[in-house]
Amino acid sequence: MEKLSFIIIDDSELDCFIARKFIEHTNRNLTVSTYQNARLVIEQMRKSDLKREIPLTIILLDLRMPVMNGFQFVDDFEKLPIDIKKNYLIYILSSTRNTNDIKRILTCATVHGMIEKPLTREKIIKLIADIKDGAGN
Amino acid sequence: MADKIKILYIDDEPDNLVGFKASLRLDYHILTAVNIPQALSCLENHPDIKIIFCDQRMPEKTGVEFFEDIRISHPLPVRILLTAYTDVESIINAINKGNIFRYVRKPWAEADVISAIDEADKFYKANSMLAVKNEELQKAYNELNKFAYSVSHDIRGPLSGILGAINVAREIDDVEEMKEMLFLMEKSLKKLDTYILSMHDYYSLQRGELKVTEVDFNKLIDELKDIYIVLARTNNVAFNINIKQDEVFRSDMIPLILIFNNLLSNAFKYQDKTRTDKSVDVDITVERSTATIYIKDTGIGILGSHIGEIFNLFYRANSQEVGSGFGLYNVKSALLKLNGQIEVNSVMHQGTTFKVVIPSI
Repeated sequence: MEKLSFIIIDDSELDCFIARKFIEHTNRNLTVSTYQNARLVIEQMRKSDLKREIPLTIILLDLRMPVMNGFQFVDDFEKLPIDIKKNYLIYILSSTRNTNDIKRILTCATVHGMIEKPLTREKIIKLIADIKDGAGN
Repeated sequence: MADKIKILYIDDEPDNLVGFKASLRLDYHILTAVNIPQALSCLENHPDIKIIFCDQRMPEKTGVEFFEDIRISHPLPVRILLTAYTDVESIINAINKGNIFRYVRKPWAEADVISAIDEADKFYKANSMLAVKNEELQKAYNELNKFAYSVSHDIRGPLSGILGAINVAREIDDVEEMKEMLFLMEKSLKKLDTYILSMHDYYSLQRGELKVTEVDFNKLIDELKDIYIVLARTNNVAFNINIKQDEVFRSDMIPLILIFNNLLSNAFKYQDKTRTDKSVDVDITVERSTATIYIKDTGIGILGSHIGEIFNLFYRANSQEVGSGFGLYNVKSALLKLNGQIEVNSVMHQGTTFKVVIPSI
């Protein structure tokens, strides 16, 4: 698999920092961008140029955030044109144990899975391996 | 004297109404109706009627049928049936269908009526107390739910962040990177600490009696000022205070300080960092036993669509700064305790003004 990039959306600066470090330490060639405000990500996606090729991007999304929470982000994301959506894989990254929240978000078609915080190196390695497997099939 | 108990008496014989009213009107607020429509309009106009006396034999309807009809629309008043006939059938019907509290035999003796009123009043009070308690319990349960929900995010969130950071630390060799992370770890722990402190505020506001003392706003602000002057200097914010108090003001210091602390820290926290003319203005006027307080900032402002929600528990309108979602909720609870009011006026990118009005106690 060629390129893979990451977007981390989490209102906690520390959690963004940690996720970035784990990803960078796993593979130096992975690009990572972090956002504390989910709305900015949606706005950028809406403006994105459909003709330009972008690498497959994994979104690590927190659930409870001010301004726009994870649920609202997924709602808005699902309304984007398929040509934009196809470039992204959403994974939830949250410390929640609330089964209602987890069930609700995992039934969304564009959400591929959930990783429970705290993040570890093993969880990142497994995530990348799973995605490569998926892409190979 | 406390308000008289409001009683409605329905009877198709005007003489009975007059007699009833004459003998009881000194001690009770007696309303009378000579037919069902009159009785219904009386119930509409006086929602605070506590007790209804109704004659059983009336031309349009029996008393039991009337009570049955109003069972859903007017569940609160206590029902007492007046009747000269004591057939078992009508007693059973009255109890099962009409939700009757008491029977009073006609012609009635004043002592019987008064004792029925006393008992009915006690019953009414017990019932309404129960309704109030139920409502309070429901509110407490709802807040408990919100708490349980927030615990995983606001307590477990920062802790899992710190745990994650410790994991990452094992792989970091660069000292600068490590320092950056330590800074973020500290921020995260401070947030957790603020959350726990606000939780304590929340709890102490819900419990406890008022401790009323004389309040000198100059002194109160002097004590608070030191913390905020440091903030003002480091962030380059002009901090202006204007106090006009020529009379005694009495209130509880603890909720009062909590209100100032929350509104002031918000005013400094949510400043528009790109502005050069940043300011926080505090204006306090005590007049006619009322304190009117304005706290005005040149901050980022609050979106109109968020204003209605900013006083809700755990609501946060902004991701720029660390917040627990407790602050303004606690301000509102404190004001409820002091019988005060709060208004917000906000323009995006220009600033927010909170107006607080508190009566002297």
